[in-house]
Amino acid sequence: MVAQVVVSGILSGALYAMVALGLALIFGVMRVINVAHGPLLMLGAYTTYFLYAAFGMNPYLTLPVSMAVLFVLGMLLQHTLVHRVVDAPELSSLLLTFGISIALVNVAQLVFTSDLRAVEYLTGSWLVGPVALSKSRVVAFAVAAALTAGAFLFLRSTRLGKAIRATSQSREVAMVCGIDVRRIHLITFGLAAALAAAGGTLISVIVAIQPEMGQIWTFKSFLVIVLGGAGNYPGALLGGMLLGLVEQLASLVLTTQLSEAVAYVLLVVVLLVRPSGLLGGRQT
Amino acid sequence: MVAGAATVVYPLVGTGYGVRALLQMFMWIALAGSWNLISGLTGYVSFGHVAFFGAGAYTAAILIIDVRWPWLAAALAGGVVACLLALLIGYPCLRLKGPYFAIAMLGLNEVLRALVSYFEGFTGGGSGLSLPTLQVTERVYYVTALTAAGVTLLTYLIVTSRFGLRLMTIREDEVAAEAMGIDTFRHKLYAFLLSAVAPGIVGGLAARDQGYIEPISVFPLVTTITMIVMVLFGGKGTVWGPVLGAIVLFVAQELVWARFPYYHQLLFGAIIVAVVLLMPRGVLGVLQQKYRLPRTI
Repeated sequence: MVAQVVVSGILSGALYAMVALGLALIFGVMRVINVAHGPLLMLGAYTTYFLYAAFGMNPYLTLPVSMAVLFVLGMLLQHTLVHRVVDAPELSSLLLTFGISIALVNVAQLVFTSDLRAVEYLTGSWLVGPVALSKSRVVAFAVAAALTAGAFLFLRSTRLGKAIRATSQSREVAMVCGIDVRRIHLITFGLAAALAAAGGTLISVIVAIQPEMGQIWTFKSFLVIVLGGAGNYPGALLGGMLLGLVEQLASLVLTTQLSEAVAYVLLVVVLLVRPSGLLGGRQT
Repeated sequence: MVAGAATVVYPLVGTGYGVRALLQMFMWIALAGSWNLISGLTGYVSFGHVAFFGAGAYTAAILIIDVRWPWLAAALAGGVVACLLALLIGYPCLRLKGPYFAIAMLGLNEVLRALVSYFEGFTGGGSGLSLPTLQVTERVYYVTALTAAGVTLLTYLIVTSRFGLRLMTIREDEVAAEAMGIDTFRHKLYAFLLSAVAPGIVGGLAARDQGYIEPISVFPLVTTITMIVMVLFGGKGTVWGPVLGAIVLFVAQELVWARFPYYHQLLFGAIIVAVVLLMPRGVLGVLQQKYRLPRTI
């Protein structure tokens, strides 16, 4: 039983970490909390659903497509709307991305209706000793872990990744060093949207999707960032695992219905006890 | 004065539909005005203000059904419970600067909905609660109108007081406010507590008036969205902005948008984006700047 909880927690934790990394990137680089992050994930899920339902594509092969589509959409949003509020007070950026998120959800409702949609692929589970591993969750874990690792490598070692980290440490100094900050902002938003889209694609194979699924992901991603410490990218990994474990534990002791409430209590407790996150401080 | 007199007389001469529509409008004025108290004055965005409405509705319904309280007392108790809930959320989340509060409020709604569904014994779960029938629409109408007037008066009193000035200082620059010796946490918390009371009362009144509540009907995200749109449109941080926004958008909603239910939220999202980018001070804010109107409008 305990083994099952730990395994399930880690499996969903990687997914949380990947999606939250997107939110953390935008927050780190632009100091903007993108309330539309969850709805972007939802659009990624619907991209997969659409390609699967209309063209019979293998849902996992739609991953690059949904990531690319959302990368472009993310850059578009940044270029047309979000860049105007990067230096504005927090109220503006929160409200603006909130407005965007409402519009995105409504567009999805118009195009796909509010019906639950399911991508039926890779159902069932593998049995390893006493532990049942849902196949789609295992694949989601593997893909999410690989993408997260890829994102870290990219941030660590490439010129562009270093430029992104430099911008998040100090925009002025980055500018002085000849970094085109506007371009970095564009790419960051695109990357974040692509990470959300990857999450959406993987989730669409696990559970049924609907247009309003996104909002709770904005909240959970934020919780993961808070757990790990805002501005601390590796912290997202720890935060994701922790959230996954706590949720699984809660659904074992209580019911799955309450797992969201448990995540909420976790946020409140962390804000009370250790607001700088478990790993603390900024170290990008 | 004229508006006050018309409000008092209307139920005697108006139609049933008219009374109900006005009741709704007063409800929106009270809700929008309350959102303005925390978000318009301090700049801390509450993305889940409907949670207080829902908490008030459930409190009142349970008190009316199980304890047989009179509906007015039950609605007021709804306001008290909403205020306590605000204390519970505000205490941890408002101590910190930044987006913590906004996101905590974003999640609150989902959590309350989950809790209501979980504690079925109390709340009836997903099947909801039915209140005993009682014809009190007119009296509910008067109490709602009073609540709306109360919120507007409270906003006026706050905006013209030192307390209000300190709140606006926090909005403009929290670090500077702290440096000037303002206990920012306390001020934010008080504003938040005040902003939760009226939605709780109105929630209780709505439960009484509709006679039936369920999780979806009292915790809809769209209610929060509507509050925000109304305040932003009218002018955040002003006394009459939420009133203006509530009236204009409510009338527009009744007359025009009811025919295009599917585009409703898309339009709201677009209005929010447009107001933030093009007219961040809202209609009243623009008028204030153009015609040098006093800040207390």
